[in-house]
Amino acid sequence: MNMQFLVDGLLTGSMIGLGAIGVTLTYSILRFSNFSHGDLMAWGTYATLMFVGAITALFGKVAPIAPLSFGWPLLLALALGMLFTGGLALLLDKILFQRLRAKGQMIIVVMASFGASMALRSLLEFLFTSSPAYFSRAIQIAKPIGFGIRITPDQIALLLLTAALVTAVHLLMTRSQIGREMRAVSQNIGLARVVGIDVARVVRFTWLIGGALACVAGVMIGVLVQIRPLMGFDMLLPVFAAAILGGIGSIPGAVLGGLIIGLSEAAAVQIFGAEWRAAIAFVILMAVLFVRPIGLFGVGER
Amino acid sequence: MARTVLEVRSLEAGYEPGVPIVRGASIRVEEGEIVVVLGPNGAGKSSFIKAIAGLVPVSGGSVTLDGQDITGAPAHRMVRLGLAFVPQTENVFPLMSVEDNLKVAGGVLPKREVAPRIEEMYRLFPDLRERRTTPAGNLSGGQRQMVAVARALMVRPKLLVLDEPSAGLSPKFVSMVFQMLTDVRKAGVTILLVEQNAKAALAIGDRAYVLVEGRDAHEGVASELWNDPVVAELYLGHRASPAQGGESR
Ligand SMILES: Nc1ncnc2c1ncn2[C@@H]1O[C@H](COP(=O)(O)OP(=O)(O)OP(=O)(O)O)[C@@H](O)[C@H]1O
Ligand SMILES: [Mg+2]
Repeated sequence: MNMQFLVDGLLTGSMIGLGAIGVTLTYSILRFSNFSHGDLMAWGTYATLMFVGAITALFGKVAPIAPLSFGWPLLLALALGMLFTGGLALLLDKILFQRLRAKGQMIIVVMASFGASMALRSLLEFLFTSSPAYFSRAIQIAKPIGFGIRITPDQIALLLLTAALVTAVHLLMTRSQIGREMRAVSQNIGLARVVGIDVARVVRFTWLIGGALACVAGVMIGVLVQIRPLMGFDMLLPVFAAAILGGIGSIPGAVLGGLIIGLSEAAAVQIFGAEWRAAIAFVILMAVLFVRPIGLFGVGER
Repeated sequence: MARTVLEVRSLEAGYEPGVPIVRGASIRVEEGEIVVVLGPNGAGKSSFIKAIAGLVPVSGGSVTLDGQDITGAPAHRMVRLGLAFVPQTENVFPLMSVEDNLKVAGGVLPKREVAPRIEEMYRLFPDLRERRTTPAGNLSGGQRQMVAVARALMVRPKLLVLDEPSAGLSPKFVSMVFQMLTDVRKAGVTILLVEQNAKAALAIGDRAYVLVEGRDAHEGVASELWNDPVVAELYLGHRASPAQGGESR
């Protein structure tokens, strides 16, 4: 068997995992499935593309960093894009979800997130048309690294970036006061208030992190594949599958779920053919939930 | 004359507008006291102290903490105002370690005071030091109450308010919890306590109020209340007899 699927799977898995962290955080802290998360990924990517354009306009063309297809403008633009997407998520919550949440019916909030998803996507198609865009047109040469595996410098860089971000989020959740407060709110929101936690602040922080990571996931897709208004929406099912597979609320679970789904998708494509890509996520999801209904790292109903 | 830490005047509160559950209850807690609120099931004891702690909407009356009006302040501000509340159930974060339960409550303190305060809590509750890395949900009922109380004390409250800390515990842990509360009082903390277990609560309390239908129907010195025939007959479910005193039941 050709081992190339490992690289493809890890990359897809990283994108899915980064998206799943946002979904799992929103679910565990706000108790609703945010179906507009995929569109936050797309918005983040287009925002980053715009920032790259603005930086190029200001500083002229910048040469890429040695073997990579992109230079510091993309990194700076990504940081700005993360801020933008976090802000967009905050804005959505402020004008839409927050009011509906206060009324208490979760299904209404979920439906509203569907509506937000469609509106965000249509707006992107209106602004940028549905034809694809690219961060770079340069073709990268994939280098063989043994076992029949070939990988491009961009791919290595993005895998490292994912690892760094996931580690950072994990440390934030386990070692910092805001992380402890987030865990406290997800475990018992009433007690969190009694303890003196400002729940509204924790909610804002959750949106910021979820939005920022959605942006990174989107930009990864943009760099490695292409940028389309539908790019995030198309990721929604694997992203939710990863969050559920890992155990809703668990960040390591979301990442592991993403990697499992990414790798099995890639393996399925190689073994059975591309038409099986979408189905495999669900076969695996069902198989795991059959044995362990709360997901790999889940902790059951609270 | 001792300082008045808590003064509640004619408090009215309820879950829905126009349906008061607490209907004009008044109590007072002096510095260093343990004050007990007793009453039959459904009398509104939990609602009463939840209203004091900002968890049930207040529609009338006033709550004054150490001279400051705190009536109807939101729950998350209460700890900053000096009132720490321990709910009846689900009063720890079950998936967080004992230490993280204390740390998260320490968010109200200046950063450099958190670690020393946790150290003080471990000195007051040595069992918790041994269990510092255990998820609070895996502890025994008695130890969980210790975590809940230590968590509340993290912020050096002026008043510690507890809702039935002995509820659902086995007899061994019940006495452990009441022993813990006397130790906490010795450490200089003023305590307001709602209890179902009248006998044990009156044994450690200084004064007590009996709440009936959302009103305080009776007030008295704790040791005398147990033997007060009217109170005993009506609300505490035992027949007072001078010969047997508090040992009946
Ligand atoms: N969340 C709530 N919403 C509406 N009504 C409530 C709520 N909680 C309690 N009540 C009502 O308020 C009344 C008093 O209940 P409360 O729990 O305060 O009594 P209690 O004296 O603490 O009883 P117990 O001894 O069982 O703990 C009851 O009639 C109850 O039905
Ligand atoms: Mg009660």
